[in-house]
Amino acid sequence: MILPLFPLSHILLGLAAIAWKASARATLIVGLIVDMALVAIAFSPAAPWLSSTVAGGWTDAIGIRLALDSLALDLILLTILLELAVIIYLWRQHLRPSFVILLQFLVGAVMALVLTQDLFNIYVILELLTLVSFLLVAYDRRTFQIWASLKYLILASVGMSIFLLGVAVAYTNVGSLGLAALQRAVAENPQASWIPLAAALLVSGVSVKAGILTFSLWLPDAHSAAPAAISAFLSGLVIKMGVVVLIRLAGVFPLALVLQILGAITGIGGAIYAMASKDLKRMLAFHTLSQIGYLLIGMGVANEAAAKGVLAYALAHGSFKALLFLAAGAACDVIGSTEITELARARHRIPLRTRAALLLGTLAIVGLPPFDGYIAKAPLLNAAHGWANQIILLLLGIGTAASFAKLLPLFKGPYRRVGNDPAWESYIVLALPIVLFLPIERALFGPASVLPAMDWVIAAESVAVVATGWLVHQICRRLSFRPSESLFRLEPGMFAILLGFVAIYLLLRLG
Amino acid sequence: MGWLGGTTVAMILFAIGTTALIVRRDLVIKLLALGLVNSSGILFLISIRFQPKMEAPILPAKVGIPIADPLPQALVLSAIVINFAILALSLVFVMLLVERYHSTDCARIEHAVETEKATLGSQNLAADPSGADAQEAIP
Repeated sequence: MILPLFPLSHILLGLAAIAWKASARATLIVGLIVDMALVAIAFSPAAPWLSSTVAGGWTDAIGIRLALDSLALDLILLTILLELAVIIYLWRQHLRPSFVILLQFLVGAVMALVLTQDLFNIYVILELLTLVSFLLVAYDRRTFQIWASLKYLILASVGMSIFLLGVAVAYTNVGSLGLAALQRAVAENPQASWIPLAAALLVSGVSVKAGILTFSLWLPDAHSAAPAAISAFLSGLVIKMGVVVLIRLAGVFPLALVLQILGAITGIGGAIYAMASKDLKRMLAFHTLSQIGYLLIGMGVANEAAAKGVLAYALAHGSFKALLFLAAGAACDVIGSTEITELARARHRIPLRTRAALLLGTLAIVGLPPFDGYIAKAPLLNAAHGWANQIILLLLGIGTAASFAKLLPLFKGPYRRVGNDPAWESYIVLALPIVLFLPIERALFGPASVLPAMDWVIAAESVAVVATGWLVHQICRRLSFRPSESLFRLEPGMFAILLGFVAIYLLLRLG
Repeated sequence: MGWLGGTTVAMILFAIGTTALIVRRDLVIKLLALGLVNSSGILFLISIRFQPKMEAPILPAKVGIPIADPLPQALVLSAIVINFAILALSLVFVMLLVERYHSTDCARIEHAVETEKATLGSQNLAADPSGADAQEAIP
């Protein structure tokens, strides 16, 4: 009965932080050590009883099953990495106890979500994540933060209501909330009339939380408004919780086509908006969307190599996106502006290590070898069959490179030592997996998973994609094309959720 | 009235709630509509696996009378608590916004927030004492 300790330890430490306010900061360290110890136990070969358990000793029909599968392990490792980086980043700042408590609850909820195998439990934890990230986004109480997080709460709450309807429809027809029972019921009678309805409700509900266009129109505002450390957590980790639920649902329902279409829309849409964005944090937030597109297409391809590629890419994306958000937050704090042109003009005042971290993150996200963006993307490129997928992945790569080409002026000289970096150690923590991803992927997913990354053709293709992206940037710079931002207001976001649900339902019904 | 079950009413409430969320501009009314949407989910959950003339699943059970499925009714408790928390917290945030803008009009607040955010960067830059930006800008 060790699996419940993953979430429970963080919730208890959060409560301890309420009780002993003076040592609230220390609970973050304790939580990290507990996580590492639990993972060490999970990795030891003498513990096969770890893999799956029903909490509280209930029967499978009404109990909540927790399972530590490769997906859960992958995201727990990512959580520990981000926890370490964020703790170091925040260490020299003044931390209020309430902030520490929310952070602990956020990590605890993440741990619970990756382990659970129960539909209603997923609903409860997603709501907990919504509430905690709602409070964290607006922690500094600035007006645009309050508005961004209020919009997030309203849209996410409607999405979760839709998810709850899906849970109810599934329970009516299956009689159990466990994913395994649901999978059996769908496999026995794949033509049953309730399946499209339940699948559409569940998928469109969770898509609101997963950063999928056109469901998650709250995302650019919320992720760019949040404090840097919180943005890193939200973009690197919390947004993937929706993706985790989608991966679990894709194992139950036939969702391949839906996921590929959603992935194409999300990826291309995110990349277009990122290319047009002039604000650094907002551009990074749009790129969260475009990178979720990669994950969705990888899930939609639905073969084993692609599934491993999705896990590896989730890990890699967490590391470089957190690095980019932390470094961007530090740079914007020094300069006092988030405009990319302003940052480039005042680049000599940005500390050198922060600029180096931004450069490393940029090289990783555009997918240049030998960094983790490329190594994790290569299996996806290799496994994505069909010309449509290939073209979309190429366009995504070009769009990513084209939007990050905007940052190039930031990395020009002069290189003088200015100020001291507030938290350069956290960059090192995140830079290590970015540079050393090959052995990590080999250890986690087996030697076969790194073979595509060794392929010269794929490496050359990636470099060519980045070069094309740079050319596209040079062309687009001269056009003053700006897509409308009013799409990201509250009412269009609400309307898009309902429209998206109808579209997914029709797709599942007819397709 | 046999056709008017709990699930039908829940669907109607959901439709009213989402429509109000889209068309009404007042933030407080939007939150009321959000409450309606969330309640419709709860009503739907307790209406499934229930037929007329069923007893509530409370011990001691009467012999011979079918009882409703107790699991959804237990789940509803968590859903109600969550929805309470969401409404309470979002009302606090609406209060903060009203304190600053003296309006609950969603469009007006959105416009004010956007203009405020657009001017934020340049203000900070203007306050920069070193004057390094002006030097950089010349070439």
